[in-house]
Amino acid sequence: MNFLMDHLLSWILFIPTVAALILLLLPNRANLLRWYALLASSIPFVLTLVVWFNFNNGQPGFQFEEQAVWYAALNSSYHIGVDGISLPMVLLTTLLMPLAMLASFSVKERIKTYMFLFLLLETGMLGVFLALDLLLFFVFWEIGLVPMYFLIAQWGSANRNYASLKFILYTMGGSLGLLLAIQLIGVVSGTFDLPLLFDRWANLTQGTLMGLPVTTVKAIAFWAFVIAFAIKVPVWPFHTWLPDAHTEAPTAGSMILAGVLLKLGAYGFLRLVLPLYPLEARTYAGWLAALGALAIIFGALSAYGQTDFKRLVAYSSINHMGFVVLGIAAAAWTIGTQDAAIALNGAVLQMFNHGLSAAGMFFLVGVIYERTHTRDLTKWGGLFPLVPVYGGVLIFTAMGSLGLPGLGGFVSEFMVVRGAWPVFTLATALSMIGLFFTGAYILKALMMVLHGPLNEEWRGHLPEINARELLVIAPLMILMLVIGLWPSWLLDMINRAVVMLF
Amino acid sequence: MTIQTLLWLLPLPPLLAFALIILVTNRWKALSHTLAIGAAALSWLGSMFICWTVFRLDGLAEHPIGSTIQWLPTGADSWLSIGTRIDPLAAVTLFFVAWTVLFIFIYSVGYHNFGQPQGDHDRAGLPPEGATLKGKGHHRVPSIEPMYSRFFAFISLFAFAMYTLVVSDNLLTLYIGWEIMGLCSYLLIGFWYGKKSARDAAVKAFLTTRVGDVFMLLGLVGLYKAAGTLSYAGIFGNEEMLHTLATTGSGILGLSQAGLFGLLLFIGTVGKSAQFPLHVWLPDAMEGPTPVSAMIHAATMVSAGVYLSIRIFPLVSQSETALLVMSIIGAFTALFAATIALAQNDIKRVLAYSTISQLGYMIAALGVGAYVAAAFHLVTHAFFKALLFLGSGSVIHGMEHGVLHTGEHVDPQDMLNMGGLRVKMPITFWTFLIGGFALSGFPLVTAGFWSKDEILSGAFAGGHWVVFATLAVSALLTAFYTMRQITLTFLGQPRTKAAAHAHETPLTMTLPLMVLSFFAITAGWVGIPKAFPVLGGLINPWFEEFVGSMLPAHGEAAEAGHSLVPLFTSLVVALGGLYLGWLVYSKVKAGAKDPFARALPGLHRVLQNKYYIDEFYQRAFIRPARWVAEEFSYRIIDRGLIDGILHGIAGGGLGLGRFTRDQVDLPVWNHFVEWLMARVPALGRVLKGVQTGRVQQYMVIAIAIAVVVGVLFVYFFVLA
Amino acid sequence: MIPLSWYLIFAAALFCIGLFGVLARKNAVAILMGVELMLNAVNINLVAFWRYLYAPDLAGLTFVAIVLVAAAAETAVGLALIISVYRRRSTVVVDDLSLMKG
Repeated sequence: MNFLMDHLLSWILFIPTVAALILLLLPNRANLLRWYALLASSIPFVLTLVVWFNFNNGQPGFQFEEQAVWYAALNSSYHIGVDGISLPMVLLTTLLMPLAMLASFSVKERIKTYMFLFLLLETGMLGVFLALDLLLFFVFWEIGLVPMYFLIAQWGSANRNYASLKFILYTMGGSLGLLLAIQLIGVVSGTFDLPLLFDRWANLTQGTLMGLPVTTVKAIAFWAFVIAFAIKVPVWPFHTWLPDAHTEAPTAGSMILAGVLLKLGAYGFLRLVLPLYPLEARTYAGWLAALGALAIIFGALSAYGQTDFKRLVAYSSINHMGFVVLGIAAAAWTIGTQDAAIALNGAVLQMFNHGLSAAGMFFLVGVIYERTHTRDLTKWGGLFPLVPVYGGVLIFTAMGSLGLPGLGGFVSEFMVVRGAWPVFTLATALSMIGLFFTGAYILKALMMVLHGPLNEEWRGHLPEINARELLVIAPLMILMLVIGLWPSWLLDMINRAVVMLF
Repeated sequence: MTIQTLLWLLPLPPLLAFALIILVTNRWKALSHTLAIGAAALSWLGSMFICWTVFRLDGLAEHPIGSTIQWLPTGADSWLSIGTRIDPLAAVTLFFVAWTVLFIFIYSVGYHNFGQPQGDHDRAGLPPEGATLKGKGHHRVPSIEPMYSRFFAFISLFAFAMYTLVVSDNLLTLYIGWEIMGLCSYLLIGFWYGKKSARDAAVKAFLTTRVGDVFMLLGLVGLYKAAGTLSYAGIFGNEEMLHTLATTGSGILGLSQAGLFGLLLFIGTVGKSAQFPLHVWLPDAMEGPTPVSAMIHAATMVSAGVYLSIRIFPLVSQSETALLVMSIIGAFTALFAATIALAQNDIKRVLAYSTISQLGYMIAALGVGAYVAAAFHLVTHAFFKALLFLGSGSVIHGMEHGVLHTGEHVDPQDMLNMGGLRVKMPITFWTFLIGGFALSGFPLVTAGFWSKDEILSGAFAGGHWVVFATLAVSALLTAFYTMRQITLTFLGQPRTKAAAHAHETPLTMTLPLMVLSFFAITAGWVGIPKAFPVLGGLINPWFEEFVGSMLPAHGEAAEAGHSLVPLFTSLVVALGGLYLGWLVYSKVKAGAKDPFARALPGLHRVLQNKYYIDEFYQRAFIRPARWVAEEFSYRIIDRGLIDGILHGIAGGGLGLGRFTRDQVDLPVWNHFVEWLMARVPALGRVLKGVQTGRVQQYMVIAIAIAVVVGVLFVYFFVLA
Repeated sequence: MIPLSWYLIFAAALFCIGLFGVLARKNAVAILMGVELMLNAVNINLVAFWRYLYAPDLAGLTFVAIVLVAAAAETAVGLALIISVYRRRSTVVVDDLSLMKG
């Protein structure tokens, strides 16, 4: 029992991989593989709950830390741990994985490979959230890419080759600079250990490196980090891979892509950029805020301009993640003040909320896509009487995505806007245009799917959402509602971490 | 149970009813409406208990009852608290909300034809079209609404949001209730989503109010930053805070912080209470079922906008500019909407414009500083306007009955198709008459007279001549179009067969009418000014003292000497308008055009088309916005520019790769390797002789080489 | 006491006989026997050196034991191979087994 409790995070991290390897040995029977994958991905979730309830909110620094020798020659070690910022992300990941598995029950081709890749993906994503070592962070960062590439390229829809290639090239392009900057930090500081680096690298302000003043080198390294993470978030104008990748990916792939992978970028900002580059972040906060506001505005506008339901939801992700970036920018500028704490609370909560609502929306798009084999909004219409339960669920989830007060999204958007208003008044005010169009595109989608004259084609050919699908969406809906009504169960943890960290 | 606990519990029964109807009972219509009405009744009971208790308390404004909890952590050891509270303003609002909500719930049962058979061809998403009764030949009767349960679920959610808004003690929970009401309004306007007009109206309503809401959100966060709290007590009840806000510049347009945030919040009101220029959604919202129009778009939700403005009045009043903006928008809207109402033929649209106009009245009252008068009119208006809407619903219902009965194809909402209904629908007629007179401000007996009179005297006493004149003119117009409506609908002879066969509606519909008409008369008596000739002092002007105590600087316009000019004006415009309306419209014959259209066709057309504002918005905002979204943001920026650059880079990479392959790899390397490959077999042929296949020969060679190497090793390394 | 050199000379002679057998005999069994002789020559060397130079330490004897085991295993495998070859080709003369000729 102690062995389990002492290495809880490692268990969470590697159970999916082990499960994936065992999966390869199982006989090729569809239902066996599905249930096995569902069960295997539920174990980390249960263990995460154990971590959650044993987590001490008031304790500064990281908890459940584990450290082991890894690359001694490089001064890099296997160092993992959680704090109030990463734990919600771990929870989000381990929660969404079983749901994504459940959503994947409808996949019929090459189930074994599909589930194998998904389980590997989970380890990659969890590793990023858990790593307390830069090199380890990078390794997991890259590990996550590969399964996703294959998931899009193999199980995607018509234009999948283009989309998957764009996805992987874009992200790899960002990673190049990140890798170089990480190596630079490692060489200069003599360690990759994050808690040590927070001290050493952040306080390194004088002297020269490679013939250049330290400040210049740090500014360059800062931008290398920012661009890598900005592509992943994605921040406007690095966002065009996202609509393609989301649109072409299989349903569960989109759920995970929107629900977790985008958070990796934002998490990179929080975990690495802000603590490692406080000065640079402050200097360039205005730029970041401007990009965040542009993401909010253009994300919403572009979403409004779509007739492809899935692409509309994909653009809504850009819109929502813009708020995360805006919050981070505001916090970078006001670090150490109450405004910064509020903005960061909002940003982290928005990450969590967007994980719920975007995954939910993509899943619902998938549900209707499986039944009608089209994503074109103009092909539907008036489906509400045919599928009343689905309609209700869709309206609820869409309202969560829209940020209706009473559901989670509102709380986080309110906090971000509250944190950003005093510092970036103009950007905040302009982002209201985006908030307005959020309403516009959500209503457009609802109207074109549910309302309007019934497209007679679907009468009798559109089964209602089934129990398995309800089981996927129900936890997301419940969480959205709970966070909207009583956010402090989650926010208290985030808030304390933010206050102690920054 | 203490009042504190009760306040928290007050919004919950409707919420529970909503959840239960949606999740469990949606198949059973009777159970659903029982749940909804039961929940509304519970909340009503709680509200009445609270009102009964607090109405008799002294100093409630100074010591409001309530409690808070910590809700959002905001940094080290600081929390954003939310809570409930009841103070005089909340109490009077709660009073009218509880009454109107409960009776509109009851009314809905009849309105949606409960107890009638299923329709022949009714579909979810379209209004019921009637059922054929078998056995009595070909007799058609109204049929029950197909989505009956869903309707009760939605209005229950709405009631929850409204109660939340009223009992909350801070702007944040107010905003939460505010937005949920917006959602309900969207869902209920689009309740018959099969109709394109309803669908479009729903989206229009949501988006137009959202324009106001995003500004309001900015106001909220700005105020939160500046004041460090969002609670009423912390901002509006805190003189020091108000003073700080009033004297700190905001850096925007030369406004003080109080002015800026007040105005931003006020834009929220403009959207929600349908003030110019965001008024366009309310008339279209009449596409929803009539109980919805009555509750959401007359009595409660649109009133919530004014309620917010009254709430933030202490803040707004710190800035002259903000007050001026309010009075201009309010007075202009009051007049503007009244003129449009003159030319509408749809019975509900007239009421919709009159709602806009009356809300403008209240805003104008606030703008001139007549705080109590605004709150007073809010209460009286809620009662009589809910009454009017329910009355109009009853009329439409009766007409629909006639239409079904006769099979005549006429619009049951067009007033020109009515006439003479007083005989067929006496209860509806008398109650509608009471409501109409209250709206027109019929002197002395109706509630509307007292509240309107107070607003006029407030404007007069404050020296706001322009506002006073504008409001007086719009009061005249109000009386005129109200009488036009009453005359066209109820008086004279039936102009169509359907009108002749109209039928009085069931008790579930007429009972609410009677109850509300009681309040449409008596609600005014609590606010008869002391200085009023003869009547003043007969009844204690309780309202004035109760709500007036909310303002830190007590004693306002109405106290400053009651002049007879506004009183006289009120009398003249109300009676004059009513008389003129009767005069012009009492002789309209079947099939005849509106006398107004005959006299002034040009003006009539402009008014009938609402000054072409919808068309203007369509051209100036909606189409450009669509272009920006579809063309600029998506096609030009994303697809064109950004992806263009990316594809350019990818193309460049591809070109470079092709060059190295065609020009370097193929000729240079491939050629060399091929030459090399050709040489290898020849070499092999030469060397194959060495391999004899005899193990012993190999060993001899191996030993020989070992001996040679050993000798050399010894010679060079050991011996040297 | 017999000097160490006698043992070494004896072992060298044995080794040479074995080597001759391996290189010159045609019969595969005889070659195998030659290999055995060579291995045992080495064993004698090991035992002699151990006795004269490292007597109490057991390392030398251990080596001998390992060589003996390896030799036994090698013989077993070798004989098995030879029998297998004989069954297929009815000969154990190595000059006839030249499939590997280039």
